[in-house]
Amino acid sequence: MLFSEVYSCYFRTVETILTEAVKGGLTEQRLTELVREKAFAESVLTIPSNLKDGTWPLLTEDLKTPLRSVPQMPLTLLEKRWLKALLQDPRIRLFSPSEAGLEDIEPLYAPDTFVYFDQYNDGDPYDDPDYIAHFQTILQALREKRKLRITFTGARGKRNTWVFVPYKLEYSVKDDKFRLLTAQTYYGTVNLGRIEACELLDHYSPKAFHLPQVKMDTLVIELTDERNALERAMVHFSHFEKETERIDGDRYRVTLRYSREDETELVIRLLSFGPVLKVLSPQTMVDELRKRIQRQRWLSSKPGQAEIQSNRVKE
Amino acid sequence: MPYSELIKSFDKIRGYMRQFYVFGFKRREEYDAKSLRSYDNERRRVESWLGDYMSFRQNETGKQVFLSVDSRTIRHNPLYKAFKAKSFTDNDLILHCYLLDLLSDGTAHSAHQLIEGVAELLGKFPKLKLLDDSTIRKKLREYESLGLITSEKQGRELFYRLPPCSADLASWKEAVEFFAEEDPLGVIGSYLLDRTEEGGEVFGFKHHYILHALDGEILLSALDAIGSHRRICLTNVSLRSGNPKKHYAYPLKIYVSAQSGRQYLLCWHDGLRRMQFFRMDAITKIELAEPEPEPDRFADSYARFRKNLWGVSGGRYHTMDHVEMDVWVEDDEWYIPQRLERERRYGHVEQIDAHTWRFTADVYDSSEMLPWLRTFIGRIVRLEFSNPMVRRRWRDDLRALVRAYGEGGDNDAVQ
Repeated sequence: MLFSEVYSCYFRTVETILTEAVKGGLTEQRLTELVREKAFAESVLTIPSNLKDGTWPLLTEDLKTPLRSVPQMPLTLLEKRWLKALLQDPRIRLFSPSEAGLEDIEPLYAPDTFVYFDQYNDGDPYDDPDYIAHFQTILQALREKRKLRITFTGARGKRNTWVFVPYKLEYSVKDDKFRLLTAQTYYGTVNLGRIEACELLDHYSPKAFHLPQVKMDTLVIELTDERNALERAMVHFSHFEKETERIDGDRYRVTLRYSREDETELVIRLLSFGPVLKVLSPQTMVDELRKRIQRQRWLSSKPGQAEIQSNRVKE
Repeated sequence: MPYSELIKSFDKIRGYMRQFYVFGFKRREEYDAKSLRSYDNERRRVESWLGDYMSFRQNETGKQVFLSVDSRTIRHNPLYKAFKAKSFTDNDLILHCYLLDLLSDGTAHSAHQLIEGVAELLGKFPKLKLLDDSTIRKKLREYESLGLITSEKQGRELFYRLPPCSADLASWKEAVEFFAEEDPLGVIGSYLLDRTEEGGEVFGFKHHYILHALDGEILLSALDAIGSHRRICLTNVSLRSGNPKKHYAYPLKIYVSAQSGRQYLLCWHDGLRRMQFFRMDAITKIELAEPEPEPDRFADSYARFRKNLWGVSGGRYHTMDHVEMDVWVEDDEWYIPQRLERERRYGHVEQIDAHTWRFTADVYDSSEMLPWLRTFIGRIVRLEFSNPMVRRRWRDDLRALVRAYGEGGDNDAVQ
């Protein structure tokens, strides 16, 4: 059962409160703080009063508890089955968790149950020992706040060695790749699949480095709801921060915020929707789309003439 | 009943959260609620759980509420919070804390001893009534089925204890942090993370679709049926008419789009006698039926079926469409053949001459390929469809695009 009170935010919050009560020294102020920190916005209206007035007989009037030990819920069968299923995922080799305690557990699903039908087929090599070693070194550097010396092959085949301050490992399910995001402004992102060597260096102070600011732009599109385009586009772009307004009838205006570095990718994603979606701004993107469409019109009208066309499209 | 931020069933909130997150332009009066009060309660709940992500817009047509999340910047999927809002009775919480505390010494206790232990703990609160023995025994059975406790018979009596050994969660921490976001049932990872210390911000996620989380209960039922080789009766709500319809089927796979986050259940459909996809977010119920006596009999037909699937459409009669596209590539545009190669799925890519690469595919439904083919607009020197309806759609759409982006207007030269 996935939707069960044993996983609820209320149960976890009460367990945290009781943990402090078992250890001694729980105060009314701390009780309220824990509820604000762990539970929902309106939980503060319920949890403290129910604990204090005896509706939930878990705390005495002096905020002590009759319980003997720190509350600790064991893993449910569902949780164990989920962990066991993860052991069959190729990416689990990057983490090497302990299999102890899961020996007799049935995995929640078989590894070939899920088919990612539109995932790119040049994903990272999760069974390559060098790749695994690089991943684990990077994970250690992130955990211990240490710099890294990385030798990698750039997109154009050039070999580089740089010292990086790492700050996040970013995964894309579409690309099936990990990228290391770093505090550098130049070569700020390194694809893990391109790393040849990776060495742990000394510690750094997080205060000494400023994370590069992501340059964001705003895209405004007009969408016509034909062939279920509204729903398709809303789901497709749902991972962006966005706002949708109905203009009239079946026309909508969608405003979304995107990272400037992803502009080229966004152009082709917008093209994929065809005429149901029209970009209103920024003008640079309108111009880029217009350029590609005009070139296509020209190619379609004069087959075989592509080689003399100089107006190239970059992506 | 008075308002509570907790909910008994997930069905209603699933629909509301989807509307707030995906669309977010509807006014209060436009929701398919039985009453405005119902809408107000659901909106208030979502606000209580996800206040940081809720936004409001007021204009002349009224007030619109929407959920807006840049999923590249978040650490945990905020929609998981809805799964942590299950309502419970006072006795549920009391017995949860008391029974696990009584069993925390690691020894086995009979039901009778546990009933006495609960009475003793409750005795410290003299104003309260004791609990029925049957209530406690029922909770013990429930916790045993959840795997929280185990039982063994000693003589004529059942004895309960905590499971002898559990997984080493500390060694799993980073793996769980990753898979809590990446696995289709990552909400289970989120439950585990709720019981551990907050970790560092190690992982980020790009192209991260979070909406599927709301279909977790349906997905779990589907996995249960697939794992136990059971047939199912699923209720699917038509996205056009909104009407529910029951289908009898044998579930085989879960298809997931990495480019939209949508999930589909692939089944052998008993009535249609063919493979059929159902969108997971349109399924409202899955009931497990009898076991399939010969589960392996679908393996061969699935292996054949999948080879000509571009996405999740098997076409109407499983006829095949042929598609050929020639793409122009300049000297230094090495990344275009690379793109073709990594995005081709079951298609074939070959170099024709110094500047031309050819993509070919035979698929059940070439209309599914149109969005991907459009991403090459500006480079396509030849494009052929064996399906005349799809060819016409391509041509009409390209004309409409030319009109939309100006200069030249309608032009019959677009082929």
